[in-house]
Amino acid sequence: MRVLLVEDDIMIAQGLETALRQMGAAVDWIRDGEHADAALRSTTFDVVLLDLGLPTRDGLSVLRDLRRRGNATPVIVLTARDEIPNRVAGLDAGADDYVVKPFDLDELTARIRSVLRRAAGRGDPVIQHGDIRWDPARRSVDYKGAPVSLSAHEYAVLEALLTRPGAVLSRAQLEDRLYGWDEPIGSNAVEVYIHGLRRKLDSEAIRTVRGVGYFIPKKP
Amino acid sequence: MTSIRNRLVVALTILVVLVSILAAIVTYRRVLDETSDLFDYQLRQMALSLRGQVSFAPRIEVPPDQGDADFVVQIWDLFGTRVYLSRPGLPMLNQVVLGYTDLSLRGEAWRAYGLQTAQGVIQIAQPLRVRRVLARAAALRVVVPLLLLLPVMVAFVAWIVGRGLAPLRQVTAEVQRRDVRSLSPVTVTELPLEIAPLALELNRLLARLQIAFRAQRDFIADAAHELRSPLTALKMQLQLLDRAPDPQARSEARERLGAAVERSIHLVMQLLTLARSEHIEVAAPPTSIDLGEIAALALADAGVLASSRDIDLQLEAQPHSIVHGVPEALRTLARNLIDNAVRYTPPGGRVVVRCAAGRNTTDLVVSDTGPGIPATERARVFDRFYRQSAATTGGSGLGLAIVAAIANRHSAAVTLADAPGGGLEVTVAFPTAAFPTVAFPTVAATPASSREPADADGLRLD
Repeated sequence: MRVLLVEDDIMIAQGLETALRQMGAAVDWIRDGEHADAALRSTTFDVVLLDLGLPTRDGLSVLRDLRRRGNATPVIVLTARDEIPNRVAGLDAGADDYVVKPFDLDELTARIRSVLRRAAGRGDPVIQHGDIRWDPARRSVDYKGAPVSLSAHEYAVLEALLTRPGAVLSRAQLEDRLYGWDEPIGSNAVEVYIHGLRRKLDSEAIRTVRGVGYFIPKKP
Repeated sequence: MTSIRNRLVVALTILVVLVSILAAIVTYRRVLDETSDLFDYQLRQMALSLRGQVSFAPRIEVPPDQGDADFVVQIWDLFGTRVYLSRPGLPMLNQVVLGYTDLSLRGEAWRAYGLQTAQGVIQIAQPLRVRRVLARAAALRVVVPLLLLLPVMVAFVAWIVGRGLAPLRQVTAEVQRRDVRSLSPVTVTELPLEIAPLALELNRLLARLQIAFRAQRDFIADAAHELRSPLTALKMQLQLLDRAPDPQARSEARERLGAAVERSIHLVMQLLTLARSEHIEVAAPPTSIDLGEIAALALADAGVLASSRDIDLQLEAQPHSIVHGVPEALRTLARNLIDNAVRYTPPGGRVVVRCAAGRNTTDLVVSDTGPGIPATERARVFDRFYRQSAATTGGSGLGLAIVAAIANRHSAAVTLADAPGGGLEVTVAFPTAAFPTVAFPTVAATPASSREPADADGLRLD
């Protein structure tokens, strides 16, 4: 999962970055509106956490532009503006959710899962795909009824593939989901995680399209 | 409490009574004068009409004439014998006086006229009382209607005053309807000339109050809003501390939690400082103090932060840079300026504080080697909670607002400029003229422009 964090307050951003990394997310942190707009034009994110009071450009304006371009990336507005008209304006500008500071980390992560679920068009918070059972809220994966222990990166790769079954994700696309801009990428890292997942689940759970990428079959 | 209406009624009553008395006196006098002339004329006419009859006058006393008591007639013959007295029993003068004369008989004033004829002397006398009674009656005729009119006038005045003061009651009622939430101006149109200025001044006061209340409300809203950020960081770091997977993450979370606590404390302290800065004079009396001492103390306060950021602090204080102010407030001012400079200056930079006394002002100048502030943003940086774009210094956004508030209380001007070597230069110019009793022996000979470090106290804090 790749998250764009747009927040001008260093302390809040550092905390959120840590929390999201602990969730296994790749986090890109941007401090102002102009750069947020540029990042949203160049990179695909799974979810955007957007502060409204930003230097150089207001968060709402960035959000409106994003929606005007037809970009449906889930956006959660994080702001100190808690009056009803502000909430309405935020949601009407295209926000999927509106979280008021100071927020609870558990609630925020639940809301992130919720907007991701809705973006994927799923209703059930727990995903059962063949023998694989994935519970995003508890960050747990069961295979044939037995819990499987995954590393954070393995979990992130499985999450990316399970979110869109049947879709082939290239190594670069998977790396995008694993690492933020400022994180170093291991050379064979993706292959290592795919190997680990096949070992822990089933060698046939993840298929390879040679030269293109990896996918999880729609119906096993 | 005095009442305009009562005072007017009392004053008018007194006035009317005085006028009545005056009118009575004047009327009495005039009527007396006029009747005197008339009666004198009558006396003389009577004497003249009797002239031809002196020889026929009975030489014996006639019975008293009961009918006309107002006049007494005496007739003497050429030998000086009284031949006639119209009212016997009245001891008239035995000595004949010709022409008009005033007499006093038995305590009563009389007016007499004596006429010399060929046969003798005729004297007609009349008591003055008759004239006075007439004059008194005439005066009463003037005064009585005036006094009878008095209650009507009082009622009329009361009514007029009541009507005249009605706009005042209207303004009072309007003002009574005002409270903190509705400070709208009082209606001024249709107010009389005497009350309109009061209402206008009231409206100006209301307008100023409204601005002050709005500023206060905005400030509280802003402050609450600004407190959210550090509180968000606090709550988050606490949760991260709880869920830290390893000791390293735990110690990092604890460190950040501490930083978030420090930041919250800093913001609250700055809020308090700002609130106090706007009511300095209540807290402490102003004294004359050397800016150099203030700057040295403030630099010492900033020493820890500066050394942690590897920033060189320097003081160039001209001796006797005396200003008139509240020492604690001035120290806060200097500390905020230095703090700001240190926060915005990149590591390895330098912050210089200069104190110099000029002809008209005594200046505190803080310059840094930071990025400076673009001219377009300079006016806004004194706003509360304003931070430069992409500002990431962790400041409260109140520093320059505090500086501005304290400077304002000291009638000092704050100006922002580019420092010679890049960076920001803030000058706080305190008025010298405000305390002419303080002598500046060394300053008089020193041009204001010479701020060479050579003649300055070199205090360095590393």
